[in-house]
Amino acid sequence: MTTDLVAAQPARGNALKRAVERFPFLPALIILVVLLVLNGLYQPRSVSFIGLTGLIKTYLALMLLAIAQTYVVYAGDIDLSAGAIVSLVNVAIITAMDALGGGTGAVLAGLGIGLLVGLACGIVNGIVVATLRLQAIVATFATSIFFTGLALYVMPVAGTPAPTAFWRTYGGRILDIPFVLYAVIVLAVLLLVLARTKLALRLLSVGDDQQAAFQSGLPVTRIRLQGYALCGLFAALAAFCITGDTASGDPLVGGKMTLNSVAAVVLGGTALAGGFGTVTGSVIGALIIGLIGSLVFFVGTPSEWQNLVQGVAILLALMAGILVGRRASR
Amino acid sequence: MARLAAKAVSKTYGATKALRRGDLEVEAGEVHVLIGSNGSGKSTLCKIVAGSVRPDNGELLFEGHPMVVSGPNAARKIGIGIFYQELSLAPHRTVAENILLSDLPGGVFVDRKALNTKAQRYIDLFKNVTGDNFHAGAIVETLRPDQRQLVEIMKALSSEAPILIFDEPTSALDRAQVDRFFEILRELKDDGRSIVFISHRMDEIFALGDRVTVIRDGETVATKRIAETDAAEVIRLMVGGDETLTAAEPHQPTAVAATAKTVLAVDALSGDGFGNVSFNVAAGEILGLGGLHGQGQSAVLRALFGATPPTSGTVLLNDKALASSSPRATINRGLAYISGDRRRDGVIAGRPILENVTPVHALKQRLSLATPSSLREKAKPALEALRTKFAGFSHPIGSLSGGNQQKIVIARWLIDRPDVLLLDDPTKGIDLQAKTDLFQLIRKLAAEGMAIVLYSSEDAELLGNADRILVFNGGSVTRELTGADRTPFNLYQAAYEAA
Ligand SMILES: Nc1ncnc2c1ncn2[C@@H]1O[C@H](COP(=O)(O)OP(=O)(O)OP(=O)(O)O)[C@@H](O)[C@H]1O
Ligand SMILES: [Mg+2]
Repeated sequence: MTTDLVAAQPARGNALKRAVERFPFLPALIILVVLLVLNGLYQPRSVSFIGLTGLIKTYLALMLLAIAQTYVVYAGDIDLSAGAIVSLVNVAIITAMDALGGGTGAVLAGLGIGLLVGLACGIVNGIVVATLRLQAIVATFATSIFFTGLALYVMPVAGTPAPTAFWRTYGGRILDIPFVLYAVIVLAVLLLVLARTKLALRLLSVGDDQQAAFQSGLPVTRIRLQGYALCGLFAALAAFCITGDTASGDPLVGGKMTLNSVAAVVLGGTALAGGFGTVTGSVIGALIIGLIGSLVFFVGTPSEWQNLVQGVAILLALMAGILVGRRASR
Repeated sequence: MARLAAKAVSKTYGATKALRRGDLEVEAGEVHVLIGSNGSGKSTLCKIVAGSVRPDNGELLFEGHPMVVSGPNAARKIGIGIFYQELSLAPHRTVAENILLSDLPGGVFVDRKALNTKAQRYIDLFKNVTGDNFHAGAIVETLRPDQRQLVEIMKALSSEAPILIFDEPTSALDRAQVDRFFEILRELKDDGRSIVFISHRMDEIFALGDRVTVIRDGETVATKRIAETDAAEVIRLMVGGDETLTAAEPHQPTAVAATAKTVLAVDALSGDGFGNVSFNVAAGEILGLGGLHGQGQSAVLRALFGATPPTSGTVLLNDKALASSSPRATINRGLAYISGDRRRDGVIAGRPILENVTPVHALKQRLSLATPSSLREKAKPALEALRTKFAGFSHPIGSLSGGNQQKIVIARWLIDRPDVLLLDDPTKGIDLQAKTDLFQLIRKLAAEGMAIVLYSSEDAELLGNADRILVFNGGSVTRELTGADRTPFNLYQAAYEAA
C-alpha cells in the first residue's frame, strides 16, 4: 500500500526541490549570475579575465571571512569579532615582518605568527562562548572590542607599509597566472577536504539540536570551541589577503567586514540558527556583496547615494534568495 | 547479581521533585518494563542511567560495581544505549548520519562508505515496514513522525550496548512496525541483552515484558514478574490506593440523530498525500479516521486546518465555504487542530507554560494587551480538566514531562470552544488516566454539539469513541464502518486489504 501513495503524489517541481535540497546555495548562484550579467552590461570590461581577477583580489578577504563565519554559524553560534581578528592579525604580521627586516624569511615568519594570533583569538572566543557559556552574540561583541584594543596597542596609527615582497606576490603573477587564482584553487581544495571531516558534520549536528547532540554523546563544548578555532584561522587567512590588497597596516581595517561576513553567510543560504548550510554558499554570498558594490559604482550612482542603494540592493538579493528557495520547497 | 542497578537515585529541578527515590534492577536477558503515569519520573530515571542527567543522590551499579557516569558518552562506553522519548535527532542530517552520530566511522574524515553500509544494517532490520522515502540518505526532517522514531530506535540499536533503554519507543509506530520491533527486541533478549522498556500501552507491556517496575510520584513502588501479575494490579500500583481508574470503559457510541445539522462538509478534497476525499460531520458526531499509518489521515486533517493547504476540493463549514488557506484563517472560523507530534505542531519550545496555553485564545479574542493574571484565570479550568501536572505558569514548557506537555497543547484549544475539533493522533505519550480523561472530555464536547474528527493510531481508541469510522488506504477512503460493523476485525481487515 505504500507504493500507491508515491504514485498519487504530484511530481511537479520535484527536480528543482531536490536540486535546492542538495545544493542550498543554488538561489545565491542564480543571483550571482544575474549580477555578473548586469555588471557586464554596464561595464563590459568588469567581466573580462582581468576584471574578474581584480574582483577576486579585492574580495578574497571577505570570502575567507565569510567561510570563517560559516563554521561557527554551522554550530548555531556567531562571531562578531571576526573583523577585529582580521585587524589584529593585519597589524601583527606587518609589525612582525617589519621588525624581522621585510625579507622572504620575515614574510614567512610573519604569516606563521599571523596564523597563531588568529588561532589564539578563536580559542579565546571558544572559551568565552562554549566553556563559560556566555551568549555568543554579546560575548564575541565584547572580545571584538578587546581585540581591536590590542590591535590599536600594536599599531596606534594606520600606515606602516607591508614588505614589498608580500604585496607584490599577492598582486602579481606566477607563470603568467595571477597569484590569487592559485590561492582560489588551494582554497577550493581545502574547503573540499574540510567538508569531509567529522568536525564539519559534528558542528552541523550541534547546530541542528544542541540538546540532541549532547544526549547522543557528542562533546558539545569541545566541538563549538573547535568551530571558533577554525574561524580564527580563516580570519587570519582573510587578514593575509587584505594585507596583500591594501599593502599596509591598519588597526581598524577589518571592522566593517564583520557584518558583511554575516550577510554573506545568510545570502549563501546558511541558516543563522545553525545546522544547515554550505561554505560554498558563503563564498558566493561574499561575491554577491562585492558585485553589488561594483554595480552601484558602474551604474554611476552619485556618491552620497551609494550606501543607500547598496543597502537596498542587498535587501533585494536576500528577498530574491528566499523567494527562489520557497518556490523550490513547494 | 543484577547487571544494572539504580539505588535510591533522586533528582530535583528547582521546586519540582522529578524523582524522589528511583530503584531499578535489570538482569541480563530480560525485558524490564517501567510504567507509571505522566510525570512520575520514568524519563528522568532513564536519563540518569544514560548519563544525560546528573542525579542529586543515590548510586548506580554496573554488575555490582559502582559506576560514575559523567555524561552520555561515558554511559555509552560502559555499555548503555538509549532511545529518548523526545528523540535525539539532528533534523537536517541524513538517516545514516543520525544512526551513527555518536560513533562516526573514520578518523579525521567521515568514512562515507562505512557509514552507509553500517547504517544500512540497522535500516534493513526494519525492511518493508519503514514506509516511503526512507533510506540511508534521506534527511530526517522530511520523514514522518513514525519514521523518525524508527531512526531513533536504529540509533539506540547501533550502540550495540548490553543494556538498551527504550523510553516510549512505540508511541508513533504502526502495528507492523511495532511487531517487527518486538521481534528484534526478543532476539536481543535471547542474546542476553538487558532491555528497559517504557510504554503506556498495557497490551505491549504484557506481550513483551518479563518484569515490571512501577513508579508512582517519583518513587519506585514495586517490581513484579509479568507472569505473576495482571493489568488490574499494575494499574492499582500506578495510581495508588486512593484513586480508582476507570480504565478504557467500553463506550457505546451513540448514533447521531439523522436530523443533526451538518457542521463540516468536505467534498472531493485533494492535496499532498491524499486525493478525492469526501465526508460530512454533524454536530455532536465523532467521526473516526482509521487505517495504517500515513495513508493520508493526517494529511487530510492538516489540509483542512490549512497547515498544508489542499490543492482542490470544497469545504463547507456551517454551510459557508471555508478557505483552508492558513491556520490563522481556519482558527478564526472555528477550527481546532490537535496533533500528536507536539514537537512540530504544538510546543512553543523554551517559552513559559502560560504562553503555551494562551496563543489561540489571544488570536481568537484579538487580544492586544492582557495581564498574566487574567490569562491564568482563563487557562486554569482547561488545564484542570486534563489534570495537568505543573509547578507554575512561568516555568518553561520544556520542564514538563512529555505527557504533560501534550496536555498543555490540548488545553490551548479548550479555552474558547471551537466548532470543529480535528484530532490528529492526540494521545501520543499520555498515560492511561489522562487518555481516559481526554476521551471523556471529547465525548462531553461532542454531546454539547461540537463536531469532532478523530484520527488515532490505536484501534481501541477509534472503536471506543467514534460514531463512524472512515478507513484510509493509499490516500483515499476505502471503507466506511458504521453501527455494528465497527469491530476490531473489520477495522483490521479494511486497513490491510489492498486498495
Ligand atoms: N528539565 C526539567 N526541568 C524541570 N522539571 C523537569 C525537568 N524534566 C522533568 N521535570 C519534571 O519532573 C517530573 C518527572 O518527569 P519525567 O519526564 O521523568 O516523567 P515521565 O514519567 O517520563 O512522564 P511521561 O509519561 O509523561 O513521559 C515532571 O513533573 C516534570 O515536570
Ligand atoms: Mg517520559
